[in-house]
Amino acid sequence: MMVAPILEMKNVSKHFGVTAALSDVSFEMFPGEIHALVGENGAGKSTLIKAMTGIHQPSSGEIWVDGSARILRTTQEAQVIGITAIYQEPMVFPDLDVAENIFINHHSRSQFILWNDMYEEAEAVIAKLGVSLDVRRPASTLTLAEQQTVEIARAISLDVRVLIMDEPSASLSDNEVQRLFSIARSLSSQGVAVLYISHRLEEIFALADRVTVMRDGTHISTKVIDDVTNESLVTEMVGRDMEGRFARKPSTATGEDMLTVQGLSKNGVFSDISFSVEKGEIVCFSGLVGARRTDVALALFGIDPANSGKVSIDGVVAKISSPKDAQELGIAYVSEDRRKFGIAMDESITSNITLPMMNKYSNSVGLIDFDAESRDAIEFRMRLNIKAADLVSPVGALSGGNQQKVMLAKWLNTAPRLLIVDEPTRGIDIGAKAEVHQILHELAAEGVAIMIISSDLPEVLSLADRIIVMREGRIAGEFIGDIATEGNVMHLAVGAGVQMEFA
Amino acid sequence: MLSSISKKLGPNGQRVAILLLVLVAIALFFSSQIQNYLTPRLFVRISTSVSIIALISVGQAVVVMTRNIDLSIGSVVGCTAYFLGGILASFPDLAPVFVVLLAMGIGACFGLVNGLLVSRLNLPSIIVTLATLALFRSILVESSDGSSITTGSLPIWLIEFARQNMFVVGGFKVRWMVVIALFVVFSMHFFLTKFRAGRQFYAVGSNPDAAEFSGINLKRTVLQAFLISGALAGLAGFMFLARFGNITVVAGQGLELKSVGAVVVGGVNIFGGSGSIIGVLLGATLIDLIDTSLVRWELVSEFWREAILGLLILFAVAMDTLLARRLLGGRKPNPSDKEPEKTKLASGRVKESST
Amino acid sequence: MSTENFTSRIVKALNSWEGFLLLVLVLLFVGNTINSPFFFTLNNQINLFQLSIEKVIVAVIMTFVIINAEIDLSVASIMGFAACLFGWLFQSGVSASGAVVIVLAAGAILGAFNAFWIAWVGIPSLVVTLATMIAFRGFARVLVEDRGITGFPDWFDKLGQAPLVGPIPLSILVFFVLVFFFYIVLQRTVFGRQVYFIGSNRDVAEYSGINVRGVQAIIFTLSGLISALAGLLFAARLGAVRGDAALGFELDIITIVLLGGVSIFGGRGTMVGTLLAILIVLNLRNGMALANITGHIQTGVLGILLILSVMVPNIQEWIKKLRKLGKGTVE
Repeated sequence: MMVAPILEMKNVSKHFGVTAALSDVSFEMFPGEIHALVGENGAGKSTLIKAMTGIHQPSSGEIWVDGSARILRTTQEAQVIGITAIYQEPMVFPDLDVAENIFINHHSRSQFILWNDMYEEAEAVIAKLGVSLDVRRPASTLTLAEQQTVEIARAISLDVRVLIMDEPSASLSDNEVQRLFSIARSLSSQGVAVLYISHRLEEIFALADRVTVMRDGTHISTKVIDDVTNESLVTEMVGRDMEGRFARKPSTATGEDMLTVQGLSKNGVFSDISFSVEKGEIVCFSGLVGARRTDVALALFGIDPANSGKVSIDGVVAKISSPKDAQELGIAYVSEDRRKFGIAMDESITSNITLPMMNKYSNSVGLIDFDAESRDAIEFRMRLNIKAADLVSPVGALSGGNQQKVMLAKWLNTAPRLLIVDEPTRGIDIGAKAEVHQILHELAAEGVAIMIISSDLPEVLSLADRIIVMREGRIAGEFIGDIATEGNVMHLAVGAGVQMEFA
Repeated sequence: MLSSISKKLGPNGQRVAILLLVLVAIALFFSSQIQNYLTPRLFVRISTSVSIIALISVGQAVVVMTRNIDLSIGSVVGCTAYFLGGILASFPDLAPVFVVLLAMGIGACFGLVNGLLVSRLNLPSIIVTLATLALFRSILVESSDGSSITTGSLPIWLIEFARQNMFVVGGFKVRWMVVIALFVVFSMHFFLTKFRAGRQFYAVGSNPDAAEFSGINLKRTVLQAFLISGALAGLAGFMFLARFGNITVVAGQGLELKSVGAVVVGGVNIFGGSGSIIGVLLGATLIDLIDTSLVRWELVSEFWREAILGLLILFAVAMDTLLARRLLGGRKPNPSDKEPEKTKLASGRVKESST
Repeated sequence: MSTENFTSRIVKALNSWEGFLLLVLVLLFVGNTINSPFFFTLNNQINLFQLSIEKVIVAVIMTFVIINAEIDLSVASIMGFAACLFGWLFQSGVSASGAVVIVLAAGAILGAFNAFWIAWVGIPSLVVTLATMIAFRGFARVLVEDRGITGFPDWFDKLGQAPLVGPIPLSILVFFVLVFFFYIVLQRTVFGRQVYFIGSNRDVAEYSGINVRGVQAIIFTLSGLISALAGLLFAARLGAVRGDAALGFELDIITIVLLGGVSIFGGRGTMVGTLLAILIVLNLRNGMALANITGHIQTGVLGILLILSVMVPNIQEWIKKLRKLGKGTVE
């Protein structure tokens, strides 16, 4: 290209402790281009965005804007030179109207607010986006898509030159996505460089001029969109030999259904989910962020019950409207978010492990049998190899992998017959990962039905007896574990190419 | 037709309209119960006492908009009135304008203490101001040695001021005090609606993260809110002194609760981010009207007023909560976002767990 | 080896907040004893307890409320209401013993009223109890208006004033029974464990199958009940009730609990900490009184203590930083 780039990332690396989130990433963005950024979960996309918008500072490497190196210490500084990001969850002031959301604290505004002028200018900015929106409506009455529009308008009013859109379409309807596309195109025609991050490949082919692939914190390729295909993108994103196999343990499935789900639906979240899990079987749920896998799990566990559909346990129709109900039916749910929903970090290891089963450790008047508690906690420490100096310290003092094991112990202690594990190994090291996998295999061998939600494809392929792929709240397809490959699972998850036959 | 009117008014306008209707209804109700109720005297009485309550309620409103609360406001009024009385007894020749500024300055100092503790040290405002409520009062008691300020020790102009009318229309005397209070209230309304510096209070209360993202200084905004609240309480202290002349150590006790009542009934969201000063003025009027009228109503004792105030606050908050829930009902909250974001304090502190 | 273990345990205990409180308490004792020979007498010790006994009784249940990450500002109003209701019932000809039962039930009902708005409607406890603090005080005033009611039966007044076991009056006995009972409940029962987890992380508690609303309803109802009991003891001790009975007591009560190391954000604190804080505050007040410092200054000092006690996490952070600086460790 003849034009000079607006933004250049030059050999940018970012380390958190010993782990490298970004290593040696270089790429550039030109005015007026729509540049797609793709990669699996954990490929380093969000760290890259944070480095571009001043939230993180690179450990090494430089960010060049308009041909000179710049240091971005805050989002403010990034905004001033024209780099702004909008996220899946828009950041608006719910109590203020659209115009004010656009212009609050805007450097060009005078101290005295001329409301009518402001409304007119807001309308002009919104008009630039080619959409219509009443600028006097409070933001709390807007849809998610409209709130995004407001954020984009705010960015434009700040003379944005590089607009980063991080998964903007994840919670939008088809029409809203089309509108978003037209906004992105009109921005690029005005010379703005748009960095568009999405998991949905068809969106990228519809919108982007160039596409950059990242994997494991490194830059893999940047190509003109006409030079890539679905297959080539998926190959680069997955990065491994797509037909490669992993050492797998033989299935321990018994052929006897433990859980049967028929036509489970929740308005606006997921619909028509039907599947079953056998005793001793490991079923993995694969899919992208926003595929609503966790929502299905939360419905089964009674946190957010479904609107319709039938759930049967051992062939008997079950009504699950609270975690207590679920527990009594032998269901346990290990959350993906340890800190928020999994364990209370300030409380002791022992009390976290025994929390859901307190009745087991108390006599008729509710006095706790501390000895029995610590006996079981010690047993779990040995069984799961939890590395902790003592069991009365707060869980927060442990490493991520050991916290994960404590969370697992907490639910194993309920002696579940159906164990739902959401992202069982996210953010823990390789050793702990292998141990967790080993534990899951042992449980399956004992006859526990296991349902795993994981975005880690190698993990899914090595663990699963069966893989169910979800996409946008629906089941997109199903594979037998032995014959599935990363490639065909990924294809189904991103919605690329033909619908897979049910294996 | 009703719905189209209400649509035109917007949420704030709706609240003001409802408050006006309720005010009229209550006035009509009491006029049917109490003989010689709707008279110019009632107007004078209510307008003077509302002018004091309205001032502190407006200050309270600004604090509440930023997701905080100022429970020390009654002690600030009492302290200011008392200290000002003491100063005037020693220096009776001070210029009136200077006295007013002095009152606001004294109040602002108290506000500064609250504001610094809340914004710089990240302490919850409810606890800080609960503590300073007692602390300020004990400073007052201690420095007074139990003696009171009396009318006799005050300059004449001050006592006169409280009774001076700006103008009289058909028996309705409009006191200078009322005019000044209304001027301040409308100035604040103007400031909060027309100035960027005023809109910051709404922005900070509405979404602290977004406010920070837009480059608004959270700590400074919260500090400003407490300064405004203190200064307005100081001004109210001046009026309190002028109106009552005799100031004991319990002066202003309980005003903090009345101001919270006026703010909540006036439609300021107790969780921050929205509300109008006009609504607060009407809320203060409503509460004072009920107070004053109960004293004269024979069927029910005046001692019901606190009970009614408390239940009124609860009712207003419950209505707001349920309405807000209905409005949000159509939108699905993000599953990872279950905890209401409003629990984050505007000072930036969230509950942290150790790592 | 065992001695080493023992010493390290002592060091650890003294390093905790409770250890610090114990140290403060000992210092207070020593200081007060030097200051006034009258301090360290049994009579004075009983007296200092009795003067604030109603507050410290409520502090026991307030410990539950705040560990649960909630707050109850209405306790003092419930105390006042309970005292006034008792006086009103008594004046209306209800027997004193019957009135006691009715008052306790009424206290529980007011607590349940708070619980309804907090647990089921979902309004923050801060707002609900701020409103009911005003409303319940209003109920008390409606009952007795501006009168004072006295002339309760002898046995009732004696309950509050006269020694019952040795030199110890009933109210102090009630207090120690309650402390012991609620210590067991908080530290040794499933319910207590649930209180901690809800305060520590409400979502985790809910995901673990704990009935969060139920636990909260029980706590607030108990808070009402215990406050009513304290209000009755207050009436018995003074032998008279007025509309402003126990006005402003919530400040002292919350101060004690926070000073005891209970975090205003929930999840942290112990009954032992609260007990130590109770002893500290009582001795501080008593010491100040013996040193002729007036009640209002005492309240002011408590106000400062309250601010300091919410700053405990800040202070601990500063100490950590100072230590790091001292050691020169690099993160």
